[in-house]
Parts: sequence; structure tokens; C-alpha cells
Amino acid sequence: MSRPVARVDDLRVEVDGRALVDGVSFTVLPGRCTALVGPSGSGKSTTGLALLGEYPAGARVSGTVDVAGPAGYVPQNPAAALNPARRAGALLADIARAGGGGRAERAGRVRAALRAAQLPDPEQVLRKHPHQLSGGQQQRVVIAQALLSGAPVLVADEPTTGQDALTKRRVVDELRAVLARGVAVVLLSHDLDVVRELAGHVVVLRDGRTSESGPTARILSAPGHPRAADMPAAAVPVRTDGPPEPDGRGAAPALRVEGVTAWHGRRRTGPVVLHDLSLTLGAGRCLAVVGRSGSGKTTLARCLAGLHRRWSGRALLAGEPLPRSVRDRSREHLAAVQYVFQDARASFDEYRPVLEQVARTAVRLRGADPDEARTEALSALTGVGIGADTASRPPGALSGGELQRAALVRALLARPRVLLCDEITSGLDPVARKDVCALLAGLTTGSGNAFSPREGTSLVVVTHDLSVAAGLADDIAVVDEGRVVESGAAGQMLSAPRHPFTRRLLEAMPSLAGAVRGPSA
Amino acid sequence: MTDRRSWLLRRLVLGVAQTAGVVVLVFALTEALPGDAAVALAGDAPDPERVERIREVMGLDRPVAERFGEWAAGLVRGDLGVSLVSGRPVTEYLAAGFGPTVLLAGLTMALLVPVAVGLGVLAARREGGRADRVISTVTLGVYAVPEFALGVLLTVVFALWLGWLPPTAVGYGSGLLGHPAVLVLPVLVLLARPVCSVSRLVRAGMIDAMASSYTAQARRYGVAESRIRWTHALPNAAAPAVQQLARTVDWLLGGVVVVEALFVIPGLGTVLMDAVAARDIPVVQGLAVVFGLVTVAVNVGADLVTHDLAPRTGVSA
Repeated sequence: MSRPVARVDDLRVEVDGRALVDGVSFTVLPGRCTALVGPSGSGKSTTGLALLGEYPAGARVSGTVDVAGPAGYVPQNPAAALNPARRAGALLADIARAGGGGRAERAGRVRAALRAAQLPDPEQVLRKHPHQLSGGQQQRVVIAQALLSGAPVLVADEPTTGQDALTKRRVVDELRAVLARGVAVVLLSHDLDVVRELAGHVVVLRDGRTSESGPTARILSAPGHPRAADMPAAAVPVRTDGPPEPDGRGAAPALRVEGVTAWHGRRRTGPVVLHDLSLTLGAGRCLAVVGRSGSGKTTLARCLAGLHRRWSGRALLAGEPLPRSVRDRSREHLAAVQYVFQDARASFDEYRPVLEQVARTAVRLRGADPDEARTEALSALTGVGIGADTASRPPGALSGGELQRAALVRALLARPRVLLCDEITSGLDPVARKDVCALLAGLTTGSGNAFSPREGTSLVVVTHDLSVAAGLADDIAVVDEGRVVESGAAGQMLSAPRHPFTRRLLEAMPSLAGAVRGPSA
Repeated sequence: MTDRRSWLLRRLVLGVAQTAGVVVLVFALTEALPGDAAVALAGDAPDPERVERIREVMGLDRPVAERFGEWAAGLVRGDLGVSLVSGRPVTEYLAAGFGPTVLLAGLTMALLVPVAVGLGVLAARREGGRADRVISTVTLGVYAVPEFALGVLLTVVFALWLGWLPPTAVGYGSGLLGHPAVLVLPVLVLLARPVCSVSRLVRAGMIDAMASSYTAQARRYGVAESRIRWTHALPNAAAPAVQQLARTVDWLLGGVVVVEALFVIPGLGTVLMDAVAARDIPVVQGLAVVFGLVTVAVNVGADLVTHDLAPRTGVSA
């Protein structure tokens, strides 16, 4: 067997007397992938950064970290590693400089690295600024930096988090290409599908300790540790029950979208994002709008919420047309259609206590008395597992999962008839995701949480993650390039997809395809 | 890139629109002034008949729109009218004042950019370190001193007590460049505040940029610290400073009245003061138009530079 390119032995990183990582050991072999898995806060990132020789400020470190040369790094958000004021080739040129050689030779090495990172047309990328590149191109440029530097190890931090299934495929292929060049990859991820595909060795971390470690096949198929068992199961179970189909045209739908066309830019001639799109959301039902990034699903939600004003067509809320822009909507309309954003942290004011901000909806949109609103908000927050202590802190003190639950509570305090959830689980680790999904599932069925909405809330869940849709939705609409390519009842869509695009989405998610097809076959 | 070209075009169109706005505004404001040129010309004890005659001679009894049209048409030809006091064309006044003003502005900017950027980068090397504390304290202190006070102070110390430098430019006329000693004190006074504001902006930008994830990435791959500082961090830190520099250029070209008056430099500021004192309205109008144009042009330039440094900036119209 070849010699390890990196070895971590009994690593302990302590900040203010609290151990972030405690006694973690593993080795990394050239051309092989080692995955560190575990929920947020389990010490994955601290361990990954230790391979780069980087530690949090004021950390006390013991144990050894040996790497055969400086390691490369691909952060979760690759744009953060690219200088916004310089062209994409700037840092690459500087890295090549360290390798010596003439100008032409260095440029040749840069181009070779970009090609190796699966950018077949390097010239096109080199001259552009980072904001002119797509997310995928940005990620590949950052990978090229590592390849160019000759790093023996590449640390990839959550490279697939928040990505749709097809993008995930692409990332997996990119990392495969890196492995094929003999570079080791340390994958920090809570995405078990990707770990299963790439990693030969898995280290499961929990609260900074190694809870389990071994070959991928053994760890992920026959988990011995209760926590490891928790990880795969954290994918949401497929929902089979649900309210009965509304018979005929009896009850008015909660929301009807008729012929919505939306565009960007000031004029109608701007780029069109939605083409004559129609959908129906039954009262008390959950509709999942599924599609890849850039398919227009978020724009649809933003149109319905009145945040995107450039659209034509009609949106009928219980038969009554909704004004196009949020500025023209009455308070009742605002309360009736609520929006929960993907980035919960960005949707809170950094400096005010969470409780105050959550209670504010009830005051603003329902005219509730401030004190009553506080009490109501507090009891609702407690109901979703956020105690008075936590709630009275500013958002910085809450975890991503807690904030997302608080954001949901904030929206629900307006007693909305339609709740739009935009990718609200995609930034969360599996455990936090399960909590949020459970909360959402309880909404339409009215069971199992603090909210039993009086007239029933209907849900629109915008997601790229079919497993979320499978767990929550009564109906699924698959959107691609601004059009609904297929829609119908969830069970039918998942077991017998008709449109090729739906099938591709399903195939890109092996675990789900198995789970769904298994029983129905 | 068509992207860049369309941005440029939009920015230039906006600049032209701003210029037109300035011209209209200048005319409207002088029109709104109490009295008019005829009253000013008629002397201390105006005889109404005489005022009326002057008005007719000057064409001031014609409708506003007609006079504006004529004046604006003159502007397009580069004709700003004639001075009421001397009868010489306004352009002559401007040409005379422009030389010293541009000289002062040019010298100040040539020193300002390296000094301010250098101080900012130096202070940001270690936030809260000795260099940072000294530079921050001094720049904050100097910034708080008004230019006339600093000018008087410097004149007293260097010209009167020490006798190293001439206190004013009286007697040197337009040959300022031939006597560099004359320019030292005015340029120092002009530099004082912009150096402080620009270096503080550069410092803040550099501290952010040096702590950013993209400089961390450059460090990971072994790029030398000085190279990271000057070629990776500084372009990001410079974007806000460029806007401040534009404001400074604008201020310098707009006739630095106080400094010119203090050191008796015959620049645009002095021309403006004289014209206002003599109620020479065409000259004031002409100056206002020129100052407006300079402001528009400088800001277009700054936006172009910022656009290259921070390419995501759009036209903020």
C-alpha cells in the first residue's frame, strides 16, 4: 500500500476550555477519498482546517497533524475563495509563479490545471471576474488552484450542500477527476449519498469525537453506533398518508396560479424566467415545487409573495386575485401569504432578540397587542423546542436549524393561508432538517406541534431535494426552465414518473429511487 | 465585452443628462436672485429710468425662455458671455484662473494618492499595533483642524517664525511653477484633510480584505504576504477610496476659495470671490457651469475606475 499523504493523530482542539475536536485520528492515502461525516458542530470543519494548518483564534491544540506538503482547500461557497476585484486567473498566476519557469510555461501550467479541473475552455474563464462565472465554474477554478499548487491533499468542505441532484452529480465527477490524478480528497459532508459514492474510508464525528471509523461499505451499510444509525435515517421517510384528494371541484383551492409569465429587467423583453405557468394548491394541502437551481422555482415563489413584481397572469387566493407587488397588497393579503427564506440567518436582524422579531409579525400583520404577541410567540417557540432563554438572545446565538424553526414560527404567527417555503431545509444538517420537516408535516395535518391553524394552512415547498418533497408533499410539480414539466399526486409522481426530466431527478438520488420504487414494484 | 460597453454608454448618457441639469439649474438660480445685472450695473443710487435703459440694452426685458435659449446656445459654442464689470469675455477670466487651480490640484493629487494609500496600508499591517495607533491618532487629529486654521498656523510657523518659506504668492503672478517654495504651504494645507480621510478608508478596506477568505486562500497556496497585500487585498480596499478621491479632485478643481485667499493665489476661487463681490453675474454663472461640468466629469471617471476595481457596481442613478 502507498504511504499516507496526511496523518492526523489524536488531534484535540480546545477553545475557551471547550473541546471542538477531541482525540480524532485518521490517515489519508494518495488518490483516495476520506470522508468526515457528522452534523453541524461535530468538529468536521475544525478537523478539515487543521489539515490546512489553520485553527480558530485562541485555540489550544494537541496531537499531531502531518501533511506531505500544503493542502488545497475548496470552501463550501467557492465564491468566497475568489477575489472579487481580480480576474479568476489572478491567484492561479501567482500559484504558478511559485513553481518557477518562464511566462509561457507558467501560463501553460495554469491552462492544464483548469482543464484537469474539467474546464475545457480555460481562456474563457481566466479573463472573467468571479461574479461572471457560474457557481460550478467558480468551484472548478478553486479546484484548479489546488491541482496547480501540487497539493497532495484537497480538503472539500460540504461541496454539495444546497445543490440540486444534477449539480451534485457534476461535483462528484469533478472530485473523481481530482482523485484520478493521485490527489487525496478529504470530504467534509453530511450528504451520505455523495460520501457513499466517493469515499473509501469514513470517519463519523459526533461532538468532536470519533464515534466510528472504517471502510465506507461497513460504516454506512451496517452502522454499529446509534449515532451512525441516526445519520442515514435522517433522510425524511416517504409519506404515504395525507389528506384525501378533494373530490371534484367542491372546495375552492387555496391558491390558483394561472398563466404566470415572469421576466427579469425593466422591460417585458428582459430574460423570461417563467413561461405561462399554471398550478393549483388545494386547501390544507402541501404542494412541492421541485426543480434544479435556476429552473425558476424561487422566482415563482417570489412572484406569489409579491417580491418579484415583473410578471403577468393571475394568482387567485381563495378565488380572489392577489395584487402583483407586495407594495399594493393590503395587510390581510400580506398576512395571508407568508414567505420563509432559505437563509434563515439573513432573514433576521442581527442585533435584536429573536423573540422580539418573531412576535413582531403578529403585531404588524394581525394588530395583536405587543405583550400578547410576545406570549404567543414564546409559547409557539417553546412548542418547536426553542426555550425562552434561547429565544431572548440575538440570532447569532442560535444554530441554523433553530433559526429556521424560529423563521417558520414568525411566518405562522401571521396565520397565513398560504405558506411559501423556499429551500428552507437545504442549508441544514440531517438532524436539523428532520426537525424542520417534522414541523412542516405537522402543519397541514394539524398534528404534533404547537400550531393547529384555525382554517388550515396550505403549503408550497420549493425544493431541489426530492426526498424533502417525498416526505412532505401531497402533490408535486416538477419545474424546468420556467415550465411545469409534470405535476400530480406525490405517490404517483415518485413511483411512476412520466417525464424524462423527473426520471433523471429520481435517478440522481439513488437512495430515494430505491425507497420509492421498492414497495411499488 | 458588450456588458461593459453598455454600462459605459449608460453611464455617459447619465453624465450628459446631469450636465444639462446643471446648466438649467445654474440659470434658474441666477434668475431667482433678487435684482438683476442692470440694477448691479446702475450703481449705488440707481435711477429707475437708467436701470430700464440698461435692461433694454442688455436684452433683460425679453422673456426668460428666449434668454435661456440664447445663453445655452452660447454655452454650446463655448461662449459664456461677457463680464459686466470689464466687458471682457468670461472665458478669459476662467482661462486665467484655471492655470493656478489645476497646478495646485495636480500637485496635491500627485502627493495625496501615494501618501494616503501608503499610510492606510501601513496602518492596516497590524490592526491596533503601534503604527496603526500613531497613524490613526494623527490622522483623526489633523482631520479635525479646519483648513484656514491649519493654513494660518503653518504660515506663522514656517513663514513668519522660521522664515523658510514665503507666506503668500503675492508678486509671483502666474509663474508659480518657477517658484516651488511658494507652493509648499498651500499644498500642505490642501493635503491635510484628504490624506486623513482617504488613508482611513484604505486602512478599513485593507483590514477587511486581509481578513477575507480570498486572501486566506492565497496564503494557503504560499503567495508572499507583500504580494497578497498589494495585488490581492489593495484592489478591494481601493474601491471606496477612489470615490473619496473623486470628491477630493472635485473639491480641488472647484476653486479652493479659502486656501487661495489665504495664500493669495490667483486661481478660480479668487476669480469667484471677485466676481461675487462685484456682482458680476455672467462670470458667476460661467464658473458655476464649469464647476458643475468638472463634478460630472470627475464622477464619471471615478465610476469607471471603481467599475474596474469592483466590477459588480452598476450605475447608481
